[in-house]
Amino acid sequence: MSAEADPFLAEHIHEALSRDQRVNAPELRITVEHGYVHIDGIVATEDRKRAIADVVGERWAALTLDDRTTVADFPPDGRIEVV
Amino acid sequence: MLRIAAVGDVHVGADSIGHLRSGFAHLADEADVLLLAGDLTKRGELAEADVLAGELRDLPVPIVAVLGNHDHESDQQRVLTQRLLDVGVRVLEGSSTVLEIEGVRLGIAGGKGFAGGFVGACATAFGEREMKVFANASMLTAAAMESAVRSLDTDVRVLLTHYAPIRGTLHGESPELYPLLGSYLFAELADRSRVDLIVHGHAHDGTEKGATPRGIPVRNVAQPVLRRPYAVYGVEPGRHPWQEPGERRADASVG
Repeated sequence: MSAEADPFLAEHIHEALSRDQRVNAPELRITVEHGYVHIDGIVATEDRKRAIADVVGERWAALTLDDRTTVADFPPDGRIEVV
Repeated sequence: MLRIAAVGDVHVGADSIGHLRSGFAHLADEADVLLLAGDLTKRGELAEADVLAGELRDLPVPIVAVLGNHDHESDQQRVLTQRLLDVGVRVLEGSSTVLEIEGVRLGIAGGKGFAGGFVGACATAFGEREMKVFANASMLTAAAMESAVRSLDTDVRVLLTHYAPIRGTLHGESPELYPLLGSYLFAELADRSRVDLIVHGHAHDGTEKGATPRGIPVRNVAQPVLRRPYAVYGVEPGRHPWQEPGERRADASVG
């Protein structure tokens, strides 16, 4: 079965990105369609963002990666909410 | 007013030295205490524990933390906890701590928590041994947290967890995942014990603000949700969200 025809492929990629020690990001959202793997979410560092491409490329070279993840780099806003 | 800074899911690793600390540059001006809601590391390795300890060492406010599921990945959570204790971070797991801040006694109880689901879609301790172990894990951790909350005779009481206590702060996550993201047991104990604020993490695609059935504010402080280094919540001692006219906590002399 081709990678694209595997109906469980998104979950296999999710498992790989959860368990691979370069990434360890089970929180990422993954969809596969028309030869593309779309990955969305926030990762802590540039190294981990690069590692997503490495993991997908090593195991699913036939897929084109659409990496929509962003690296956490958030400015402070000085807000306080009274609860 | 107490100013409580909080953040979770910072996922510190060997590749992130300095990232966390740089976000805390204005902490002393903005907050009286910092709460860390778990998933402090990428995979709970000792090298990551050392980086995390370095990021938190000598920060200008007291720090109280719980661990998250990522912090358990390498099964080194005891060593990670000790590293945090070594740099003055108070780490809760079914336990509590009290801080006195400008004459106000702030009690914080908490622990990692666990999964299990929410009313109407919840695991129960029935059937296979594995199912009983799963469901009982939440019940046991909730019981320990409730005992910890009830031990606090303080002006303000906060419950700090990693897993979510309500559905409300999970909006944005896939509903199929809800049973893996938290348990109603933590909201139930908070409502029963009359805490003033619940802070949790874990749900990266969730929503910051929610409330328990009794109206206790719940805040999801997973950093991907906050999109800022930390949130700051102001809590007025003596003004309790759960309080009806004339009501006092049954198990405490303050309020």
